[in-house]
Amino acid sequence: MASTTSTKRLSLSAWLKTITFYEILVGMKATLSHLLNYRPVTLQYPHEKRTLPDNYRGMLALLRYDDGTEKCVGCDLCEAACPSRVIRVVSAEVPGEPTKRYSKEYYMDMTRCLFCGMCVDACPVDALGMTREFEWAVYDKRQLHLNKQQLLAIGDRSFPVQEKRLELQHPNVAFFNVAFKHVPPKPD
Amino acid sequence: MTEFGLRLAISLTQIAAVMGIVVITVLLLTLAERKVLGWMQDRMGPMEVGPYGILQPFADAIKLFFKEDIIPAGANKFLFTTAPILCLIPAFVGFAVIPWGPNQTFEVGGITVRPFIISDINIGILYILAFASLGAYGIILGGWSSNSKYSLLGGLRSAAQIISYELNVGLSIVGVLILGGSLSLVTITDAQAGGFWHWYLFALPAPQIFAFVIYVISAVAETNRVPFDLPEAESELVAGFFTEYSGLRFAFFFLAEYANMVLVSCVAAALFLGGWNAPYPGTIMAFIGAPSLAWIENTMWFAVKTYSLLFLFFWLRATLPRLRYDQLMRFGWKVLLPIALGNIVVTAIAVFIYQQMK
Repeated sequence: MASTTSTKRLSLSAWLKTITFYEILVGMKATLSHLLNYRPVTLQYPHEKRTLPDNYRGMLALLRYDDGTEKCVGCDLCEAACPSRVIRVVSAEVPGEPTKRYSKEYYMDMTRCLFCGMCVDACPVDALGMTREFEWAVYDKRQLHLNKQQLLAIGDRSFPVQEKRLELQHPNVAFFNVAFKHVPPKPD
Repeated sequence: MTEFGLRLAISLTQIAAVMGIVVITVLLLTLAERKVLGWMQDRMGPMEVGPYGILQPFADAIKLFFKEDIIPAGANKFLFTTAPILCLIPAFVGFAVIPWGPNQTFEVGGITVRPFIISDINIGILYILAFASLGAYGIILGGWSSNSKYSLLGGLRSAAQIISYELNVGLSIVGVLILGGSLSLVTITDAQAGGFWHWYLFALPAPQIFAFVIYVISAVAETNRVPFDLPEAESELVAGFFTEYSGLRFAFFFLAEYANMVLVSCVAAALFLGGWNAPYPGTIMAFIGAPSLAWIENTMWFAVKTYSLLFLFFWLRATLPRLRYDQLMRFGWKVLLPIALGNIVVTAIAVFIYQQMK
C-alpha cells in the first residue's frame, strides 16, 4: 500500500494506480464478490457430516468369524508391526488344544495410534480391522486404553457377524487374506 | 433546584440512551464483523447460538463476564486495573458531541431540550480528538503494567502508531473546519444540508475527497484495525497490549476498540458525509406532509452513513494483509502527512478566492 521504492521511476499509469489505490480496490472487489455470491464451503460438522472415503482408517477393532469365535490367533505380528507401540498382546494356548493359540489379553493404547494400518496389513488371519469410527473424544484419556473386550465390541458393532458359516467352524481353520464379505455397504 | 434536577434528569436520560445505542451497536458489530468476514471468506461465521448465530454476542458477553479475572504476578496492580477503564472512557465520552439527528428543540417544563445531541459545545471536534488521544494512555499503560514483553511491545507500537496517525486525522479535518468555519459538529453538519453536493466530501469550492481518504485510513490506523493492527499483531505479539488481560478487563478493551470504531465512523459521517442530512434536499417526510417525523428519516440517514463506514472497516479487514512496521510509519509520515498538508493549503486558497469572488 505504502510505498513503491523511491529510487524507481514511476510511469504515469503506475502512478495513477498508486494514488487511486487500484490494487486495493481490485482486492476489495474480490472480497465483495465473495460476499455477494455467498457460497460457503463450511460443513456444520456436528449437525451434518461428510461422507468418509472408502478406505477411511478410523478406530481399530478386533474381528470375529461369522460363528462368533475370535479370529485372533495371538501371533504378536501386529505388535511387531506397530511403529508407535500401541498394541500389547499376551498370547496363550487354547485350553485343551495344544496346537491352537489365542490372545489371552490384547491391549491397545489408542492415544498413541497414528492410524497407519500396518497392524491390519501384518495380521495373517485378518483379525484386525479399521472401522469408520472417529468420534471418540473422552474426558479421561485412560479410557482410550482399550482391552480385548472393548476392541471386540467395537468390531461387533462395526462389522456385525452376519451368519454362521459351516466351513469356518472347523477348529483348525485359518483363512489367509479372506476378503471382508461382511463389511457393511458403503453409505452414499 | 427543581430546574436543576430536571436538567440533570434530562441529561442523564440522553446519556443513558446514547450509551445504550452505542453498546447495542457494539454488540451488533461483534456479530456483524464475524459474519461479514465469514461471508467474504466463504465461511458462515458463528452459527451455533440461536438461529444463524444471532445470539452469539450475548453468549460472548456472558462468557467474558464469568471468566476468571487474572492479574499476572509482577503486574502493577493499580495501573493494570485502571488501564481498561482509561481506554474505555475516552471511547465513550466522544459521543457526547455527535449530532444524531436534526437540530430541533422542544420544551419540557420550561427547559429547552435538544434531543439528538447530549451537548453542543463549540469545540466539539477538538474535544473528540483530545479524548481519542487520551485513549492511547490506556493502551500504553495496559501494555506496560502487564509485566510481559509482548504487552509492552504492543503498547509501544500502539503509542507510536496512534501519535503518527492522530496527526493525520487532525490535519485532514482542518480542511472541513476551514469550509465550515466552526469546530462544533452541529454547525458543521447544518452547513452541509441540501443534497449530497453540499456534503464537504463533494462541496465546492474545495471537495475534501483527499482529506476523506486520509481520514478513513488514519481512522483505521488509530483504532488499531487491520491492516494497521500492529499493536495486536497476533502472529508476532500474541495479542499485543491485552495479552495478559482476561475476563471483564479484556471485554473493556474489546468494547473500547469497537466503540472507537463507531466514534470515528460517526465523526467521518458528520464531517464529510453530511451527518444526518439526506443526500437530497429536504426530507421525504416533509415532502409528504409529515415534517414532525422528519427526524426519523434524518437519524436513519446518519445510521446508514455510519454503518456503511463500519462495513468498510470489515471489508478492509477481509481484504488486506497487515503492513510492516516501517511501511506503516513511512506511509503515515511520508505519504499521508504531505497530502493532508497540501489539502489544507489548497482548501485555504480555494476558500479565500471563493470569498473574494462573492
